[in-house]
Amino acid sequence: MALALLLPPASMAFMDEADREKPKPEFTREGDSIVAKLIPRAKSTSVTINFAVTGGGKLTAVSAFDINKALTPQINIKDFRSELFSVTIEDVALGGDATLTVASAFFTSATCFWIFNEHLPTPWMDSQAENIPLGDKVQKFIIRIKDGGPFDSDGAANGRIILVGGPSDSFWGYVLGTLFIRFFGVFIVLSVLMIGMLISGWIFQKLEKKPEEARPAMPPAEPRPLAQAQPPSRPAPKADEIPPEMAAAIGMVLSLNMSPRSSGKFSQETDFVVPTAWALDGRRQMMADRNMVFNRIKR
Amino acid sequence: MSFEHVLELIKNILITQTGIPNLTGGQGLMLCIGLLFLYLAIAKEYEPLLLLPIGFGIFIVNFPLAPLMGYTEHGNPELIRAFYKYGVEWEIIPCVIFLGLGAMTDFGPLIANPKTLLIGAGAQLGVFITYMGTLFFGFTLKEAASVGIIGGADGPTTIYLTAKLAPHLLGANALAAYSYMAMVPLIQPPIMRWMTTHKQRCIRMRQLREVSAREKLLFPLIACFLIILLIPAVAPLMGMFMFGNLMRESFVVKRLTDTAQNSLMNIVTIFLGLSVGATMQADKFLHWKPMLIFAFGLGDFVICTFGGILTVHIMNLFLKEKMNPLIGSAGVSAVPMCARVSHSEGLKADPENWLLMHAMGPNLAGVIGSAAAAGMFIAMFQ
Repeated sequence: MALALLLPPASMAFMDEADREKPKPEFTREGDSIVAKLIPRAKSTSVTINFAVTGGGKLTAVSAFDINKALTPQINIKDFRSELFSVTIEDVALGGDATLTVASAFFTSATCFWIFNEHLPTPWMDSQAENIPLGDKVQKFIIRIKDGGPFDSDGAANGRIILVGGPSDSFWGYVLGTLFIRFFGVFIVLSVLMIGMLISGWIFQKLEKKPEEARPAMPPAEPRPLAQAQPPSRPAPKADEIPPEMAAAIGMVLSLNMSPRSSGKFSQETDFVVPTAWALDGRRQMMADRNMVFNRIKR
Repeated sequence: MSFEHVLELIKNILITQTGIPNLTGGQGLMLCIGLLFLYLAIAKEYEPLLLLPIGFGIFIVNFPLAPLMGYTEHGNPELIRAFYKYGVEWEIIPCVIFLGLGAMTDFGPLIANPKTLLIGAGAQLGVFITYMGTLFFGFTLKEAASVGIIGGADGPTTIYLTAKLAPHLLGANALAAYSYMAMVPLIQPPIMRWMTTHKQRCIRMRQLREVSAREKLLFPLIACFLIILLIPAVAPLMGMFMFGNLMRESFVVKRLTDTAQNSLMNIVTIFLGLSVGATMQADKFLHWKPMLIFAFGLGDFVICTFGGILTVHIMNLFLKEKMNPLIGSAGVSAVPMCARVSHSEGLKADPENWLLMHAMGPNLAGVIGSAAAAGMFIAMFQ
């Protein structure tokens, strides 16, 4: 709302929500039937809906009917993903019946066909049409309409039926259903990948173990014969003659020799060896170097 | 020519050929927003690789009469429209970025501990909850899916899915995704501390086994085979990701790997950032939906972090060797930021507990998980 105050009035027109997903059906006649081709809401590919009259009249026209003209609190526009159609059937016996069939692979067994008649006190009604599976994922509605009856929106028994309606699927049912399926689908996909990796990891570890086992075992080292005492080649250096680098190296060796790792002591709580301060310092240095690599990747 | 004539001419020139009289308040506001993101990128270093080109894209397209995002008289796209059309609309740039990411990625930690793939799946919880939540606010199904994927914390995946399902929200979604990715060190730690006890944060994990070069070489092929077989819709993203990784692990195309990691990534990042920023023109961006997206994006990240840690807690009920639940937050696939956050939180609890490589497993799993979630959404609308 604060933004609206900042904008000049001309720009306010752009604040209206464009109905980008409004289906725009195209109709073609195929013999006695009329086929509507459209991209329904929440789909990226087109579907076809086939309208035909199987008895009692002749299908003359099918056109799109803007659902905004039929909106009432009784319905949820989101349930009508393919919007509404206006179907005109002529040559019907006065007050007689006609049978309209509506078939599409877009329908499911849970789809209903709702009809709108503005002349009625309750304009919207479920047609209670039979929903028959035809195979190949196609479902067909069979709707029986009486000329001048509640489904005839011109309201008169005049030999002409105008039916306004469309297929309806529960929006929230669809959302919740797909939500669970898709979320657990991600788990299933990654679980399959995990199993694949566990199996391949096991195979690779086995393959790599075999060459190691095939290598002949090293013969035990022969005890060295007692060497004759060799006279020292030079006298041992005195403390103040030892260079600093050598002293550091000697100190390191002594530290390693005296550390718990070398003496076989282990922490009571874990299987890990308690590291010395020197080892900890080395690890910190190593991890800092690794973090630099990650920093490089990040940059 | 009279004086009035000349004045009339000057007035026409000013109105039709200069931007000043045509500048609207909305454009002024967007210029400021562009400058804000440039500030965040340069001064605060919030994901500068992307926020700088995005910020500049916002800045430059919100000048009136600038021939950047339209079409010429001959029907050819203008400069940034061409980048957008051939890079983003044709879904090339996000896939090429994934190629570069794959060339940079070492899957060793994930291969050594494949159980962490489940953490990557659990961390997609926020994606689906946000998807549902946005529907209550009047977003369409496609828009809701494109907003939900923000929580996957994967920029190219967000851009790929949004360009496919709701291109008018591309700017807002990309901006939200990259902004929150930069703020992961601020967003995640409180949730991690809230969801774990000190004792759990101190859990030490066994060192990962060594992964041979052969395993790393075959991993992209195995992963491609399984994932694309199950979700064909994700083939462009996953295929390029694994191709990049295969090049890296083969060690026989070092030149190509170097190019993919460096020059190619840099080139497409420039074009991507500019194109995404350029979609945020005042008349398209100043709407309640982009504003809400920022709020949802934050919630998305929070719930994804929650989902990852919760998954580790659930797995620990069945595992003999417990996993440190801090690595659960790394299932949010901001690589390697989330792994570093897990590592630093682990160090705070126990200065000798090195979690970085353990956390990389779920971090990489999150990339695969978010791509899988995007593939699920694409398949849903086909």
